[in-house]
Amino acid sequence: MKKLVVLVLMLALVTVSTTLVFAGGQEEGGSDQPIKLGGVWPLSDITGEQGSKAAQQAVDEINAAGGVLGRQLELIILDSEFKPEKGAAAIERLATVENVDVFLGGMASSVHLGQIPILKKYKKLTVWTGAASHLAENAIGGDADWYFHLHPWDYQQGGSYVDGWEDIIGKYSDIKVDKWFLAYEEGPFGSASFESSKVLFSDMGDFDGESFKSAAAGGGDYKAVLQHAKESNPDIFLWAGYGADALPLLQQSKAIGFEPALYVGAPPGWPADFGSSSLAEDVFLYGMWAPAMNDINPVSKKFYDGFVEKFNVIPATYFAPLSYSAVYLIKEAIERAGSLDTEALITAMEQSKYKSALGETITFKPSKVIKHQGIEGQKILQWQNGRQEIIWPFEFSTGTPVYPFPGWENR
Amino acid sequence: MTKAKRLFLSGGIFILALIIFIWRPTILIYGIQRAGLYAAVALPMALVLGIVHIVNLAHGELLMVGAYLTYFVSVTFGLDPLIALLPVAVVMFLLGMVIYKLTIKHTLKAPELNQLILTFGLAMVLGQSVNLIATSQPRTLTVDYVSTSLSIGELTFGVYDFIFPATALIILGGLLFFLRKTRVGKAAQAVGQNPRGAEIVGIDVDKIYLIIFSLSTALVSIMGSLYLTKQSIFPLVGGPFTMKSFALVAMAGIGSLPGVLIASLVLGVSETFLLSFKGYGGWSNIVFFAFIIGVILIRSHKGKQI
Repeated sequence: MKKLVVLVLMLALVTVSTTLVFAGGQEEGGSDQPIKLGGVWPLSDITGEQGSKAAQQAVDEINAAGGVLGRQLELIILDSEFKPEKGAAAIERLATVENVDVFLGGMASSVHLGQIPILKKYKKLTVWTGAASHLAENAIGGDADWYFHLHPWDYQQGGSYVDGWEDIIGKYSDIKVDKWFLAYEEGPFGSASFESSKVLFSDMGDFDGESFKSAAAGGGDYKAVLQHAKESNPDIFLWAGYGADALPLLQQSKAIGFEPALYVGAPPGWPADFGSSSLAEDVFLYGMWAPAMNDINPVSKKFYDGFVEKFNVIPATYFAPLSYSAVYLIKEAIERAGSLDTEALITAMEQSKYKSALGETITFKPSKVIKHQGIEGQKILQWQNGRQEIIWPFEFSTGTPVYPFPGWENR
Repeated sequence: MTKAKRLFLSGGIFILALIIFIWRPTILIYGIQRAGLYAAVALPMALVLGIVHIVNLAHGELLMVGAYLTYFVSVTFGLDPLIALLPVAVVMFLLGMVIYKLTIKHTLKAPELNQLILTFGLAMVLGQSVNLIATSQPRTLTVDYVSTSLSIGELTFGVYDFIFPATALIILGGLLFFLRKTRVGKAAQAVGQNPRGAEIVGIDVDKIYLIIFSLSTALVSIMGSLYLTKQSIFPLVGGPFTMKSFALVAMAGIGSLPGVLIASLVLGVSETFLLSFKGYGGWSNIVFFAFIIGVILIRSHKGKQI
């Protein structure tokens, strides 16, 4: 009898436990629970800081409008700290502890290379906003149908610059780009830029260049390379370095009296208040978005106004509208799929046709290696009266190029 | 060195400088400017190393903190950074006192490795704190006078950077005056030579260490403020200066303040000499360490200590 009572009690315990576990499991993915998006950004950098804020802005807008499939979105943000191991651990945590439905975010190819093996382990829908290196594309491979990449790859960026300058000299006959000089930081980023640019621009004219030690690597004295550029007398002077080099390069150019007809900077991000310097005036730059886009694109204006209202700061990097777009792409895909099933989500993402704040209508096409590439090029912009005007592609242009670069004394 | 040898050496250097100036004047101009920056940053480290006998691996980070404080003071109060550097130097002097009292003081009798680890930890704490507060985004102050130039014939060059050699000379002159002519300075020299002996004759060694460390912190923060006028700043900006300053102090010989100036001049001109050849700029990083290895080997060969 005693044994029977114990047996019944154990059975009851097992039944109750199973029911509770089952109920808990139901509740975990239940319709009253939010859909979880897991984002990883370098939060100490402006790209990550503003990128994550813009993603949160999009989530809040979507939730305020009723959510997706009757459920709210929840964005869980983790910091990659610009370190591959931290970025990889963040993905692992989002997959196992937070149990997110979708991965998004991203900046820096080196970090992404560390994250890719973990992303491949979980194969969840991934919408990535950063990482331009073709090495990252190769690491992802051609069979990762769950991977959607928004930022153009490095070779696509280079190709778009060639297209851009060809279009610009075609339209503005007074602009000459027969002789090029590229000053590049001596690290992998600058060296790769020089090698690829040499190949890309060799058909457009003489191409020369020299490396410098970036301020970001303990340098910051550009006088020698600027002196050589001045002696070379190029039609177009480009520099590929970091934000820390931006203003000092201009100051030292002015100090040695170097005034090329076209002065182009290509850092991944610009320092705060760069545009407020008179030296920045009429410098060309490469990018994907500028607040000037608000003049011609209502989605950009909605994003910009919402961002300023919510965070009381101006979005200063294109990673902000890019991350904002990523969240809306995911939202629309979930709506089309009608569920969170990965296969259904992939199919729905492939059908994307999203009019983004960046100007482009984002669709996904194969690139050299991966199946789903979103944006395929950068834009050519110019600092004019303290703001970045879009010069090319002409369909998004908000200004015409100021040429030649005015002398330092006329500022 | 005999008088004749000294005269011969000085004459040789003068002729070499003249040849370089006639051939490519920018080598000498930019070399002196560069040397001034190196020397002015390295002198406070030489002071601490010569008297407190501690290798401060947070030296560059203190420069960085000084630069950030100057940036925020300038932006908040609309002050020119050359004016803002004065209150910032006072604040940094006090910060130096706090750092010394809370940390350095407790490791002075510990093995040198502990001191290195401590100052390395300080460097990490300062760097990460600034990173968390100010983010890693580069910050720049726009001051028009930094791009002031002078044209002589076809040669145009920036003149603002002469502020660095001028500052180095002022710091060197000030420190030599302080150490040779003031009571505290003389006491500091005595402590630097023999701390135990100085203590026996009644010098408050701990107080001297406190003053010297705080003074060094204030001086390096002034260099941070000046650096800010020319360059973008970010949390990692100071690190390379620690390395270069230590190497220059080693080249000059510990305790030799004028030696730092000479070592900086040799290094600065050598670097700009190599940089003047297009495509050979990368060698300037190597010449730096080649000099240091050479000097240390020569000194070792002669049986001298660094």
